[in-house]
Amino acid sequence: MIPWDKLHGAMTHFPIALLLFSTACDFVSFTFKKLPFARGLRLVSFYGLTVAALASLGAVVSGIALTKGDLWGRGDLGWHHRFVWPAFGLLMGLAVWRLVVRDAMSRTGLSLYLILMLVASGFIAAAGYFGGEILLNGGVP
Amino acid sequence: MTPLEIKGAMAAVITSAFILIATFTAGAIYQNHRGRETEPGNKPLAAEDLAVKGRSFFLRTCAQCHGRDAGGGEDAPSLLKLQISGAHMTLVIQSGIKGEMPSFSKKYNAQDTAAIVAYLKSLH
Repeated sequence: MIPWDKLHGAMTHFPIALLLFSTACDFVSFTFKKLPFARGLRLVSFYGLTVAALASLGAVVSGIALTKGDLWGRGDLGWHHRFVWPAFGLLMGLAVWRLVVRDAMSRTGLSLYLILMLVASGFIAAAGYFGGEILLNGGVP
Repeated sequence: MTPLEIKGAMAAVITSAFILIATFTAGAIYQNHRGRETEPGNKPLAAEDLAVKGRSFFLRTCAQCHGRDAGGGEDAPSLLKLQISGAHMTLVIQSGIKGEMPSFSKKYNAQDTAAIVAYLKSLH
């Protein structure tokens, strides 16, 4: 019997932490773009986002197994899912966009990218919060 | 936006949509498979398994009006804290309510109805 609850708990923290860290790196690098470490931060943010997207696949698979295929649910589980699916979609989309565009971003493209990174971070943070609430209230029903 | 950015945006949208559709399909297949596993014939169902089976019936039929979370819809009430007995629930599911809810006696036999009732009771 695979302990999906423990696996899901272990796997979700990587995409959450990496996405938040990647967003922070992007904002610092684009705010202080003249500083010598700005380019290095953009590189860190790029790899952070890519690994977050890959790690999120494991988190989602373990989550599906944990909820036995229930991708909505009610109560805290429902709220967790309401935030997690937009976050997952945005994370994958942003990672693909960044892989295609790399550093060749226009001003508009960069602005949109940063806004969507912030939105995705908000969604994933909220999903993590409700995931914690599920645990505190006795686990997945 | 540059042509490369537009190309990237299209790739991003297609990838996201594909992955989300694949995820939801996998979830539906898992639920369906699990629902079949809990059908009678293989082994007697425990109360918890009965409710799981009832949930799959509920999602297939009742959720269309009562909502996926049983919290109620535009034309149907919430089923979250029903104050009626299991026998009464069975009667309503089997006979329906005139002008409000159809009968499900042809779709669900007594065992299936018992599973739905078990699920509804688990919502308390």
